[in-house]
Amino acid sequence: MNAATAVEIVGRAARSRIERVGDVAAFVADTARAARDVRTWGPEAAQQARRLGVDSLPIGVFIALFTGIVLALLASYTFTGAVPLYFVGTLVEKTITMELAPVLTGLALAGRVGANIAAELGTMRVTEQIDALETLGYDPFAFLVFPRALAGVVMFPVVVAAAMIAGVGAGWVASIALLDVSSPEFVKGIRLFFEEFDVRYGLVKSASFGLAVTLIGCRQGLGARGGAQGVGGAATSAVVYSAVAILVLDAFWAIVWLLGHTP
Amino acid sequence: MKKRPDFIVGLTVLVTLVALVSSVLWMQQSDPTRRRQRVVAQFQDVGNARVGNSAVIRGVRAGRIQGIELADDGAVLVHLSLERGAQLPQDPVVLLNESSLFGEWQATIMERAALPRDESVQRQIAANVAAGNIPGATLPDIAKLTAVAGQIAGDVAEVAGRVDVAFDASAAVELRSSIRNFAVLSSTLAKTVTEHATDLDTISTQLQGAVRSLNQTAQTTMLLANRVDSSMTSGELRRLISDLSAAAAELRATTSTLSGMSKQLAGTQDRLDSFLGNGDSVLAKINAGQGTLGRLLNDSSLYVGSDSLVVALRGLIAEVRANPKRFFNLRVF
Repeated sequence: MNAATAVEIVGRAARSRIERVGDVAAFVADTARAARDVRTWGPEAAQQARRLGVDSLPIGVFIALFTGIVLALLASYTFTGAVPLYFVGTLVEKTITMELAPVLTGLALAGRVGANIAAELGTMRVTEQIDALETLGYDPFAFLVFPRALAGVVMFPVVVAAAMIAGVGAGWVASIALLDVSSPEFVKGIRLFFEEFDVRYGLVKSASFGLAVTLIGCRQGLGARGGAQGVGGAATSAVVYSAVAILVLDAFWAIVWLLGHTP
Repeated sequence: MKKRPDFIVGLTVLVTLVALVSSVLWMQQSDPTRRRQRVVAQFQDVGNARVGNSAVIRGVRAGRIQGIELADDGAVLVHLSLERGAQLPQDPVVLLNESSLFGEWQATIMERAALPRDESVQRQIAANVAAGNIPGATLPDIAKLTAVAGQIAGDVAEVAGRVDVAFDASAAVELRSSIRNFAVLSSTLAKTVTEHATDLDTISTQLQGAVRSLNQTAQTTMLLANRVDSSMTSGELRRLISDLSAAAAELRATTSTLSGMSKQLAGTQDRLDSFLGNGDSVLAKINAGQGTLGRLLNDSSLYVGSDSLVVALRGLIAEVRANPKRFFNLRVF
């Protein structure tokens, strides 16, 4: 292998990465452009919102319930003997609202919603239904991608908000029932450091998670090749990339927004 | 009937939104119906007080800090939301202070008279008096107190260092010597005091006697003065003076008499001297055994003869006593 060949290999790899980034950028741009085609995505949006959001409420609330209980017990275990127990309320509220409800719900929905979208669109791709849509003059981005992305952005915060309420409530009940914390003490702990920013931060973060999970699912599904194996790979990739994207976005918001926030 | 997805989604969104907003308002202790009373307190600095911290009256939670904003004149306005039944004390002031060691602050509403006697607090209260607003002051937090304590500790350490430099080994020896000298001085002083205590008692007693004598003298003097007064008034003084003149004249006569007697005494002395001289010469002759008396005194034979004579006389007297008729034959007729 001469030097020219080595340089060509490096150039090809770099171009491949850049092309991938370009594909993603083009995909996002096409999705944004599809927002103009309201007639196409309008009827689909509510349907997708129900599938992605309303149908995901039980799993989101279920996760939050047990997270709240465990968090209260962990806080009590940590604070015993050193810190007043009303800080259990503070810890439960802050942690559930700002971190656990958005991230855990986002990860759960990444598996449920992301895989669902990738499998559905992948199947449509490998069965050439998308090609048929294009032939009929439908923009697949307006008909398939945008309503899902919109549903993710709108309904993820709804599910996360329900998870916040359920998580804090479960922590409250667990503190009263299982710990030596009275209801006024727990409420005092919640109110002590509560800020409206906590909720806003969690909801905005969850909206970004919804966008990322749906876009990744759509991208993986539309990019599926081959038969069932390609669809399965697309679903797996969608879940993995969605989970990674959620964690990256979580860190991004913490650095960009939380770090600069002054209570 | 199968519900349309729009309805379900809308219902879900609305319910979640209402629940979320209600929860936030509840946790923020918001007052959308404006049933709470609101007061504004003015501060120069609010420390670490935050929106949501408790407002306390006489130790009871009566509301919360609703808002904090910067005023135009460099002050900070703190809006307090108090429960409707909460009564403010007369002449109220607001004190921002830490309520626990975990960063929790509270606004304590109290009477101005109950403020801590701290110069900084009083100064802040005086500076924050504004129309319509309650004056407020902020107590330093634990961090500031710790910083001040650290500064004090540093100062103490510096002073200790200086003392350490100034108070070296020689200073310690000198101090020890001084203490020892002082102990000796103290014991000496104590001994002196003990020894002189009796003297002082004596002096005191004598002094008391002297005072008593002085009192008596004063009384006597008073009597004398009274007498003099009475003498002055009754004309006895003239008589006394005349008596004194007569006494002086008699004294002069007596003096002249004494002078004459003195001259006579001088002559008598001369005669006595010559008499003693004659006596000395007579005694010298007697000692030398010259003359009858000299021989009588210096010749033992005469003494022996006399002694035997006396013995004979004693025998004779005894015989006379024993037999007087032998020697005396008294006949009247």
